[in-house]
Amino acid sequence: MIALRAKARAVAPFAAAAALWCAASAVDAARPERRMGRSEELLYFPSGLWVRQASLGYETAAADLGWLRCIQYYGEHRMTDNRFDRIGHVTEIVQELDPRFDQPTIFGAFVLGQEMGRPEAGLALLRRGLERNPESWQLAFEIGFLYYVCFDDHAAAARYFAMASRLPGHPDYVERFAAFAFQRAGEREMAILLWKRVLATGNKYMQEVARREIERLGGDPA
Amino acid sequence: MRPVLAIARNTIREALRERIALVAVVFGLAMVIASQVLAPLALGEGKKIVTDFGLAGSSLLATMLAVTLGTSLLHKELERRTIYSVMAKPVRRTEFLIGKFLGLWSTGAALLAVTTLMVLAVLTVAYRDPSWILAGSLALTLVEIGIVTAFVVFFSSFTTPGLAAFFTVTSLVAGHFAEDLLYFGTHGAAPALEIATTAAYWVLPHLTVFNARGLVVHGTPVPPERILFAVAYGLLYMGALLTAASAIFERREFR
Repeated sequence: MIALRAKARAVAPFAAAAALWCAASAVDAARPERRMGRSEELLYFPSGLWVRQASLGYETAAADLGWLRCIQYYGEHRMTDNRFDRIGHVTEIVQELDPRFDQPTIFGAFVLGQEMGRPEAGLALLRRGLERNPESWQLAFEIGFLYYVCFDDHAAAARYFAMASRLPGHPDYVERFAAFAFQRAGEREMAILLWKRVLATGNKYMQEVARREIERLGGDPA
Repeated sequence: MRPVLAIARNTIREALRERIALVAVVFGLAMVIASQVLAPLALGEGKKIVTDFGLAGSSLLATMLAVTLGTSLLHKELERRTIYSVMAKPVRRTEFLIGKFLGLWSTGAALLAVTTLMVLAVLTVAYRDPSWILAGSLALTLVEIGIVTAFVVFFSSFTTPGLAAFFTVTSLVAGHFAEDLLYFGTHGAAPALEIATTAAYWVLPHLTVFNARGLVVHGTPVPPERILFAVAYGLLYMGALLTAASAIFERREFR
């Protein structure tokens, strides 16, 4: 009897662990995200305003978490269904939390414009970013980029390149792009130049798209 | 002044006995690991993320240390009745309270300075960028920790450690909503509510004054006039809290 009890005592922790594992699996299976489609997984991601209040002064760190979540979301979908329906929502939250953090806005606009074929949504995201951070030459430049590449509106592109060239911290090439666009220099060459800039400065996902676009235009990515 | 400094020294010694140096070591390790793990995941924004998390982490740690140590240290003096031996000497209660405050603030400030230096070291080694502008954010956070410590001392002067910690955290959280409170009170609320929210706005600490993390992570130095204003505001606020605390503590009966 005593031996039996000792055995039972030895087995009890493993039985408890197994029961917990089963319960956890059941809870995990019942998670709302499991029932939702992949496109709805970030539907209940809180708004930027709410996160700003809840972050209690640590909004830039909260923006970083949003950026990491955004990359994770993009990576997951890049490897599966190539649908990025919530990318605009997440990048806008990051924009609200840290208006000077330009990369998520640029990346979000890039994905919306190039990967999802919704350049007007990308443009709206960039415009909101520029309203929140009017000193950013990068956002003005990216708006010019979208106008040039996606809308073929060279006049608007030139206007935004020129705006970028008046903002503090801009590199020299911004002025060159503004001049090129104003002169309506060979359009194909201009597009290749713009994509080459993405190849040189964008993240690895953006570089992949840039390489593809340069090849499509008959340019040499190298 | 001498009794105040002696009590402050003793408080630092007592705090060090709680092995807070370990906190700094764990923080340093976490920073190094974060810089290696997060950087590749952040698609080129590793430096910004490491700086953000580093500054937020060091500020949170120093705040938590001030709250936990502060509420327990003053209570221990009363619980162990060691305060009687101090009061038997020519030391006024106000001096005792100020000494405790200075000791706790120095401990929190030292932890904050060490952890911020660790962030700076990681940035220098991992990104070859010694971001000296972090010093501006450090200066403001040091004053913020002073206000947190003053709140801890104020609430500890009349209540239990648990409640003192609760009231301190509540005041700090409410401090972050001070401007929102004023906004809601002055935009269509009843007159009585408007008076109440305006009063709360002036009484609550405006902690946003001390938050320059959003500037320094983007490479913008904190303007000197902002630091001067924050220091002046912080010192005035601490002075008001300590005056109220000593008025209460003078009347308190020890059992």
